[in-house]
Amino acid sequence: MAGPLALTLVLGLASLSFLMRATGALLPTLPPAVTERTSGLAPALLAALVAIQLTGSNGLLHLDVKVAAVLLAAGLAALRAPFIVCVIAGALVAALLRALFHL
Amino acid sequence: MDGQRSNRAILLAAAPIALAVLVFGISFGVLAVAARLPAWSVVLMSALVFAGSAQFAALGVIAAGGSVLTAVFAGALLNLRFVATGIAVARSLPGGRLRRAVLAQLSIDESYAMAARAGAPGRPHGRTLLLTGALLYAVWVAGTLVGSLLGPVLGDPKRLGLDAAFPAGFVALLWPMLSGRHAVRCAVGGVAAALLLAPFTPPGVPLAGAAIIGLWLAR
Repeated sequence: MAGPLALTLVLGLASLSFLMRATGALLPTLPPAVTERTSGLAPALLAALVAIQLTGSNGLLHLDVKVAAVLLAAGLAALRAPFIVCVIAGALVAALLRALFHL
Repeated sequence: MDGQRSNRAILLAAAPIALAVLVFGISFGVLAVAARLPAWSVVLMSALVFAGSAQFAALGVIAAGGSVLTAVFAGALLNLRFVATGIAVARSLPGGRLRRAVLAQLSIDESYAMAARAGAPGRPHGRTLLLTGALLYAVWVAGTLVGSLLGPVLGDPKRLGLDAAFPAGFVALLWPMLSGRHAVRCAVGGVAAALLLAPFTPPGVPLAGAAIIGLWLAR
């Protein structure tokens, strides 16, 4: 990615994150009904991100090593493994399957 | 400010978390460089955004060929929970509005959790938030720097399965959130919205659809 584009990405995300963390100090009287609703964003977005990564442009499941990585990571997360263990295990199983079956 | 806990005790309690954040920072650096972000921008992102899951989500979008706008959108929405934690910590921080707005930048999931546990109900412990946050900030940026230098040495990202690290990470972030009916409903709704929109809309729209569904189903 070119420098200016990367800088746009970084500054865009940084400024929005700054404002969100600063909201409490700047506007302490935000109605709780507003903040409560935001709790639904993270699960919906993360689940959507997983779905997008595992499907093709036709919206159907695209069978490749990522499916195995997700299943393993989900299993480990269910066993309360730390986040980073799930990530590394997912990458390892993908690398292993690729090396074994030349995918 | 509320006393009792010594600075040393606070930092010792945060040490195991700091180690985990360091490893996460290194892997983030490796993945970001593998997704072809310039190393300087990766370290700058960790220094200015300081939010693992949001940075990870933004990077996942870029690695999958998405636009910068979609990546910022995905990352920022994941950070919206900081509006809620920001309100909770604001009263526990010292100084005027501006100073508190800056100090609140040290809140991430881990430092907030430590502060909430150390404080009274509804009133997180300010000094725990600041000390834990500062320690984790230092190791997060340092880890990212190490990872971004290490990345190019490791070779072809696909051979190492690094592309699969993103969906694996997303599902690992998602899983602990799935306690309670509301969260499961939001996750299922998000998947449905994304998959229904993906074939017909440009990238970014499916995520926006998932976000709207998430807000709608949250209560």
